Amino acid sequence: METPMQRTDTDANGSPALELLAVRCQLGEADAFDELVRRWHPPLTVFVRRLAQDDDAAQEILQEGWLRIVRGIAGLREPKSLVSWMFRIVRWTAMDRLREAYSRGASVPVAEELLKAEDDPSDFGEAEEILHHALVEMSLADREVLTLFYLEELSLREVGEILEIPVGTVKSRLFRARRALAVALEEKGLKP
Amino acid sequence: MTHATTLPLSVDDARRLVAAELSSRARIGHVAGLLVAIAMTIVTASLCLTEPDIPARTRWAFAVMAGIGTAWSVYFTWVLAKKRILLTGHRILAGRMATAFSSLFTAAALALAILDPARRDMGLLAGALGLVMVAAAVAILFRAHGKHQELLRLRALLLEKAELA
Repeated sequence: METPMQRTDTDANGSPALELLAVRCQLGEADAFDELVRRWHPPLTVFVRRLAQDDDAAQEILQEGWLRIVRGIAGLREPKSLVSWMFRIVRWTAMDRLREAYSRGASVPVAEELLKAEDDPSDFGEAEEILHHALVEMSLADREVLTLFYLEELSLREVGEILEIPVGTVKSRLFRARRALAVALEEKGLKP
Repeated sequence: MTHATTLPLSVDDARRLVAAELSSRARIGHVAGLLVAIAMTIVTASLCLTEPDIPARTRWAFAVMAGIGTAWSVYFTWVLAKKRILLTGHRILAGRMATAFSSLFTAAALALAILDPARRDMGLLAGALGLVMVAAAVAILFRAHGKHQELLRLRALLLEKAELA
């Protein structure tokens, strides 16, 4: 069962360990790719699940995302940016799949099983249950910025690199998304 | 309805997907295919352009075969550029294969030009195009070596940093 990422210093964009992993992949080391998948598949899955409409869509996005990562890593010019680059690749893949939903900024409901599946349902308190319901109803853009910043614990700069927007815009999107989440939670009787 | 604990793609499935995508055999196979397609194109184009006293339909047949060879060359190039991307180790191997193959091809073409006066023009044209292939192959090999060395230096530096940390 997957759990949200536990970030460490070695996982941060720009860390020597991460850069070394990227370089080893570019050299074609099979062990390095194995390590890459083991370490980053769970957080990428959490992210994709926030975006996808159902399990089938999430699976397709993850499969295509990993293929694009493997095919593109030889051309990664800044190995230290591996994390934001991978999330960006997967996001593009999801955008291709969900293009219509992104372009109209519509609220794309995510199958609730997907949001719950990475946690043990028996651990869910009522508050968390309501939080997940609130996320389901949010727009795709709000959901992704909240997921990247709070659940994936990426920095503002990393979120900006993934979403290809300036840090200032990340901050304003987070502000808007937090406000939308607060409204949604209040409607469900939960104080943010 | 999907069970709550079913994963869209397990870690093991993702690992297998990546391992399959990294297959060296498929890449080397496509490199070999590209080299053969280019050679076929050069030979048939040279025959079409230089063979004297052949029926028009035969000349057309050579032209069509040259077109087919070109199409296959484009296809293999596209696959290597978009699908079976070559990592640095693959590029070095591909560069060596290309250098060896195109050198042999050029030598054979020039030998034909020397030993068979009736095929002199064809041999010289094929040999000249072969030399272009050799030059391209050597350039690819040098570039691949350069990039590989750069990555090896960076890896050594990062390993040293990791040990000191």
